[in-house]
Amino acid sequence: MTEHLGENAELYPLGLLDDDAVHDVERHIALCFACAERVAQAQSVAAALAAALPQATPSPALERRLRESARPQPGAAKARASIFPFGLAAAIALIFLGLGWQTLVLHQQLKADDVALVTMVHSHFNHVSMAPESANPVAAKILYARDGSWIYIIADKPGGSLHAIAETATGTIDLGVLPGTGETASLLLHPRERIRSVTLQRAGTDVASARLMY
Amino acid sequence: MDELVDDFVARRPSGLEQAYALWSRLLFGVARHAIADRGSAEDCVHDALVRVWRSPNRFTGNREMLKAYLIACVRNESLGMIRREGRRDARELKAVRLAPVSSIDPPVVDPVETQRLQAALGRLPDEQRTALTLAYYGNKTHVEIARELDVPLGTIKSRISMAMRKLQTELASTEGVRS
Ligand SMILES: [Zn+2]
Repeated sequence: MTEHLGENAELYPLGLLDDDAVHDVERHIALCFACAERVAQAQSVAAALAAALPQATPSPALERRLRESARPQPGAAKARASIFPFGLAAAIALIFLGLGWQTLVLHQQLKADDVALVTMVHSHFNHVSMAPESANPVAAKILYARDGSWIYIIADKPGGSLHAIAETATGTIDLGVLPGTGETASLLLHPRERIRSVTLQRAGTDVASARLMY
Repeated sequence: MDELVDDFVARRPSGLEQAYALWSRLLFGVARHAIADRGSAEDCVHDALVRVWRSPNRFTGNREMLKAYLIACVRNESLGMIRREGRRDARELKAVRLAPVSSIDPPVVDPVETQRLQAALGRLPDEQRTALTLAYYGNKTHVEIARELDVPLGTIKSRISMAMRKLQTELASTEGVRS
């Protein structure tokens, strides 16, 4: 997760990656702005290549099957509605696939850092340096909206993969691994509940933590 | 706002229907390019469309981006099916039938767009163009291309990656030229 996709970003839309690698790409771009952008660009090039392929008309049975598959399943509608509450007008939602927890909003047409900057420009925010928790800590900061609508965790030289755990009033949420390069790792979240504290772990050991005051 | 994209992302059946109405021939063409069997190609289009529609959180962007994403998903589904079912024979036959290894040119569909693509491909360095067209139009994996051209695998991956990025620049620079 800490590794960016690199050339796999271009190989992915060409169908060159095996199932495991495809899965890795899809997981990574759900959390990494830079790679999501790179994959989106590669997809548009692949679409141009596909436009030169001969088109073909599928049988009417396919459309019937699709309609059948699109029919709402009993009990599914409610879960869907709660999973995807915000509009896609300007920003775009990607949902972290664990616990139904919403983590990210981004706009693929913007560069990764621009998304964070734009988010900050439009809100009042606080920041806090994370306190070291081990002999081998990590330098990390959290910027967060005063209204609790987003938090941005940034770690400098993470020194391995960093796992983020958040506490809210109702429990603990595993935010997963902070995406990033070897140099930095960061994560922009739009949590459903106010996050009260964040702990970063490296190899299962706490390395930094911070309490957020609103 | 784009109604199609809105409906699709909101998982309304109408979103799926509109996408299908617009792009079924294109997507089926993408599947058929890799899979000779019509029924299996239809399975791929069905599975890819339904999977994306059911989890649209994986998709972000405008209509063109949705189209590009669906194309990539159908392509991955199709080649994945071939890999999973070990239908290498069918695939290789298809690839051979599509194009000889030495010159794999995109078939002509939309003359203006194809011309623009051809021109952009033509501006790529030879070895990059060869690697990319073998991969996309020849349905070859990077492993097969490396073996065929007797070049290290890493080199082929780099060539394909660079070809894609250069092609993006080339296509962007000619965008809007079409009247
Ligand atoms: Zn990345």
